[in-house]
Amino acid sequence: MGELFALFLSASIINNIILTRFLGMCPFMGVSKKSDSALGMGAAVIFVIFVSSIVTYAIYQFILWPLNLTYMDLIVFILVIAAFVQLVEMFIKKTSPSLYKSLGIYLPLITTNCAVLGVALENISYGYNWAEMMTYSLAVPAGFALVLYVFSTIRERLDIANTPKAFKGNPIALIVAGLMAIAFSGLAGLV
Amino acid sequence: MEILAAILILAGLAALYGVAYYLNHKTPVPEGCENLKQSCQGCKDFSCGNNPAHDIKED
Repeated sequence: MGELFALFLSASIINNIILTRFLGMCPFMGVSKKSDSALGMGAAVIFVIFVSSIVTYAIYQFILWPLNLTYMDLIVFILVIAAFVQLVEMFIKKTSPSLYKSLGIYLPLITTNCAVLGVALENISYGYNWAEMMTYSLAVPAGFALVLYVFSTIRERLDIANTPKAFKGNPIALIVAGLMAIAFSGLAGLV
Repeated sequence: MEILAAILILAGLAALYGVAYYLNHKTPVPEGCENLKQSCQGCKDFSCGNNPAHDIKED
């Protein structure tokens, strides 16, 4: 149990997927202008990564590995994730139009979020068992959502701050992201 | 045998994606969300189909 907790802490905060590996930068910059949208996107990414990781891991363990088709993992995982995002988009359209509107064009872009594919592939390459895989697949998007939300609240304050004209918008956001990465790197060695 | 299994798996997943895509596009878009593409001001990803750079027509 302690090992799983250490894995959760490591994957979510210490080795944060955005700030240490720079995966999922598109929604990180695109959906971080408002904290409401950031929360919605974080929740959608948690759901997509967790469920798609379970499905891809099961396909790998029960189909690709026994049939000696492990070389097909990339194409199979991409198809599974793409299909899954379509289903999530349909679900949000039906149940929460306001969330659909706030996520805007970034919802279909979850398909191209490399963090989703990255977690599915890492579950295999790191040789995790089922418990470790589920912990890792929950921890990584939780860290993604946490950083996205914190970043969005900073950007909301930056919008009303008196920043130099040349730094307004994306330039100051990228500087803040760099400072956050430095701050998170200070947690290295915690676990 | 392996090749047949590979083809069947890919065909099954492609069919799954096709069905999910069809169901998603059949679901009516909520009011006010008809053209979300207009709200995209464009990041630096010019390969994305939503980037406004694709809408600029040459004279």
